[in-house]
Amino acid sequence: MTSSALLSIGRRAMLANESALNIVGHNIANANVPGYSRQQVDFATAAGQLTGQGYYGAGVDAQTVTRSYNEFLTRQVASTRAQSAYDTTRAEQLDRLETLFAGGAEGLGAAVGDMLNAMVDMATHPQDLSARAVVLGRAGELAARFATAGNEMDRMQTGVNEDLGAAVLQVNSITTRIAAVNSEISLLQGNGHTPNDLLDQRDELVSSLSQYIQVSTLESDDGSLNIFTMGGQRLVLGSTAVPLSVVPDAFDGSRMRLSVVETDGPRPLESSMLGAGSLGGMLRFQNDDLATARNMVGQLAAALAGAVNAQQALGLDLRVPPGVGSPVFSVGPPEALAASTNARDAGGNFVSQVSLTVADARQLVPSEYSLEHDGSNWQLTRLSDGLMTAVASGDEVDGMTIDLGTPPALTGDRFLLQPLTRAANGMTRVMSDPRSLAAASPLTATAAQANTGTGEIAGFNVTDPSYDPQLSATIAFSSDTGNYTWELRDRVTNALSSTGTGTWSPGTPITLNGFELALSGAPRTGDTFNVVRTDAPAANNGNALAMAALRDQALVGVRSDGAGGVAGGATFSDTWASAIATVGVRTQSAHFASEFSSQTATAAVTARASVSGVNLDEEAARLMQFQQGYQAAAKVLQVAQTLMDTVLGLQR
Amino acid sequence: MTRVTTATRYELGVQSLQQRQRELLEIQEQLTTGKRVNRASDDPAAAARAERAMAAVSRADADKRGLDSSRNAMTQAESSLGDASELMQQARELLVASGSTTWGASERADAAAQLRALRGQLLSVANRGDGAGGYIFGGQGGGGAPFIDTTLGVSSVASGGVQHTASDEPVPLTLDGRTAWLAAPRGNGVFETQAVTNAGAAWIDPGRVTDPSALTGDSYAIAFSVAGGNTTYSITRNGAPTGVTNAAYEAGRTIQMDGMAFTISGQPADADVFAIEPSTSDLSVFETLDQTIAALDNPNANLGQTLQAVKSGLRDLDSVIDNTGAWRSQAGAWLNRLDSSERRLGETKLAAQTRQSAAVDVDMAQAVSEFQMRQTGYDAALRSYSMVQQLSLFNYLKG
Repeated sequence: MTSSALLSIGRRAMLANESALNIVGHNIANANVPGYSRQQVDFATAAGQLTGQGYYGAGVDAQTVTRSYNEFLTRQVASTRAQSAYDTTRAEQLDRLETLFAGGAEGLGAAVGDMLNAMVDMATHPQDLSARAVVLGRAGELAARFATAGNEMDRMQTGVNEDLGAAVLQVNSITTRIAAVNSEISLLQGNGHTPNDLLDQRDELVSSLSQYIQVSTLESDDGSLNIFTMGGQRLVLGSTAVPLSVVPDAFDGSRMRLSVVETDGPRPLESSMLGAGSLGGMLRFQNDDLATARNMVGQLAAALAGAVNAQQALGLDLRVPPGVGSPVFSVGPPEALAASTNARDAGGNFVSQVSLTVADARQLVPSEYSLEHDGSNWQLTRLSDGLMTAVASGDEVDGMTIDLGTPPALTGDRFLLQPLTRAANGMTRVMSDPRSLAAASPLTATAAQANTGTGEIAGFNVTDPSYDPQLSATIAFSSDTGNYTWELRDRVTNALSSTGTGTWSPGTPITLNGFELALSGAPRTGDTFNVVRTDAPAANNGNALAMAALRDQALVGVRSDGAGGVAGGATFSDTWASAIATVGVRTQSAHFASEFSSQTATAAVTARASVSGVNLDEEAARLMQFQQGYQAAAKVLQVAQTLMDTVLGLQR
Repeated sequence: MTRVTTATRYELGVQSLQQRQRELLEIQEQLTTGKRVNRASDDPAAAARAERAMAAVSRADADKRGLDSSRNAMTQAESSLGDASELMQQARELLVASGSTTWGASERADAAAQLRALRGQLLSVANRGDGAGGYIFGGQGGGGAPFIDTTLGVSSVASGGVQHTASDEPVPLTLDGRTAWLAAPRGNGVFETQAVTNAGAAWIDPGRVTDPSALTGDSYAIAFSVAGGNTTYSITRNGAPTGVTNAAYEAGRTIQMDGMAFTISGQPADADVFAIEPSTSDLSVFETLDQTIAALDNPNANLGQTLQAVKSGLRDLDSVIDNTGAWRSQAGAWLNRLDSSERRLGETKLAAQTRQSAAVDVDMAQAVSEFQMRQTGYDAALRSYSMVQQLSLFNYLKG
């Protein structure tokens, strides 16, 4: 053996330790870089040399630099981050939405209550203009609050649109960079070493991308990573990135959806197939939470306006001469939105014209509907629960009448029906004169003074706008057990218009000429009750009483019982309370989900870091380890030198 | 063994500090607002409960305003009817005085003038307003004051019945003027005696019921004939003769018939007729006064006519005074009911407020102790963080 062999061993050891020190330095330098994977130098013992005395080792070689990496944990980081971003984004949006569904004096519910409670004061003093002005003021406040809530939701939609745009820009920038890193990596492929820092960079980019949109990855043979959305749409293929874009919804242009811009044109991405990520969270908020919120507020607005206006039409106002009450509110109309793909005529207008009208505001359901032709019928699908109904033009479904137009809509065309979405936005008070409030009932019921029984008028309401004020009704009891005969006579000429008989039973009102007369007690033979036109509407409060009674009636979300009547439903204040609860529950569970998924994401990051992260204490120890190795190798060189010097000294 | 890495250690430390700070802020918000539920998502069910309770509270407030108006109206009605009773008593005293046989035509004319003044005052009481544009006795309302004074007497132009408030328990805002003022029972409440033809100087008293089971509810006529100093009378029932025919008349002697007893006094002239009709409830104080005034104003009236007018007037006035008293107690009964209604309303409101408070208000003692606990937790987190972050192997590699 020669001393040069020792020299060589020492030199190799020094180089190896030096490279290890370099990597430790690299680790220390990158300790705080997100996504950085701890690297180490792989040492290998150099193959020994055969001599007569056996194999002599040749020292050490630094073979390559590897990174501490676990593919599963790295993917976990990306997917949990996507879920966390989804939940957090939705929770943040819901936080904002929740402020519109506030309880208390500033809420919509209080505005409704205040207005109907003001009716109580109008009933107490029907001729007092200041009591009427209060009602009108409350009505204005109510309409303004609804409209503000609707507009606020519009602004939230705008916010979502802007956020989507900004997020899509980020996504496109990230996918472009992934494509670039892909092409660098594939160029370096085949030299036997892994480009650790580039791989880290790409993993981190994928993780950042997951924050916006959940992706699946597939590594190809040339080392590049292909990225796909959860719906299978490619975003990055090798060194090509496919940009995303934000496009208006096919039906409702105010809403947005995503599409990918392929070389052959844009291809829409199904929002429900998007999976997690903040884009998915925003679209879920837009399509589910915000749409539901609009429908709930709209339902209350439409039902309230419908009920107040209908009651108003049953009364007489304070004008001279008194007139039938005019509407107090108007709300945004129901809308039938045509798909942008529907057939158009030469002028670019849609051929099919579908329209909606509200038939019974009480029966409106807080949902949107899709209308499509299935080959034989027009199918209406209620989107809140997927209930399908075959409809023909003029059919009434859930309180709305669907008109398929003349000629009927074309097969293949699709429509989105929004009976309530814009109702709150368009809510205004259309009455400005306090005298126009119809506090008076057009008919007045009186018991004859000569009645001998205990029968009293327990309640009197005009319920049907088709009542005829020119007819005076007389109900004369012909027995002590409730049999009566009735007559309708002209109030001026006294000419008999119609007559008949009936049997009254306690608790059931007598219905005649558009009114309902409820009696209590026990009328006796010969007792009569008269219903005549109200001669002095100024002092009458019959309709104001009915208005105040709207507080207790289930007028929102009632169902048709199939027999001409209605069932179920809730009062205005209960409707609002349950709307508050609905949004509250959504927000609460979104917060729970966001807390949970951000914990999961943190755990995934910690798990990945426990494999790939840098611990500075550990690096400090390694620093010392390799420093000592380096020093020892230098000592070996020194010894080899001394040996050489000794040999050279012998020759002197 | 999990490796701990430096960046994660910092990251987790900061995260847990933030978490602690959030929790601290949360409880601080509860303490400063006094509410456990500051937004619906804090406790959706409680928020909905509180909203319903709030609706009930503001509703109770509105109903209370209705009750107050009713109380105001009933108080006014009560005092108005009190005023009316007083005026009627004055009229009654005048009437009693004018029955005196020593009074002459001019004195009676004076009494008539005074009665006329009282009548005017009564009318203004009946038409009293409620101070808010309505009328106390307005019934279900009319074009103006409920009573009008025409040449035919005072009549009601308002709709009958009463106006109610919109509260849960409907309470009246008016009284039915027709029944309060124009619907006293005639006669003695069962039958009414009257002089149909009274040329002589006789008068009939209001009569009384002696046997309720024998009452027929028919009309009777008592016809007198005076022939040769003998005064006799015959009674017909619904125009048909009864068993009493040409009975001898004795002034001041009670005549009994079908469960009724009545007395005719004074000297009737030939062909004088007195009648007995079943009582109807349509007597008004104004009609009574009008008839009395007309009789007192008539300078040619004989004594019998005058005394009959006074007698009938007193009888009718008593009836309307009774009726007025009955309505006065009715108004008083309403005031009592209003008290209990208001009490119930107050309880409802209190219950709703309690419900609201239980749903959303914070338990201060609990919140304060929670705050202190979290504060301690945050303090500990800060201390441990700063201590742990000082540890590093590099600190020991100096030199």
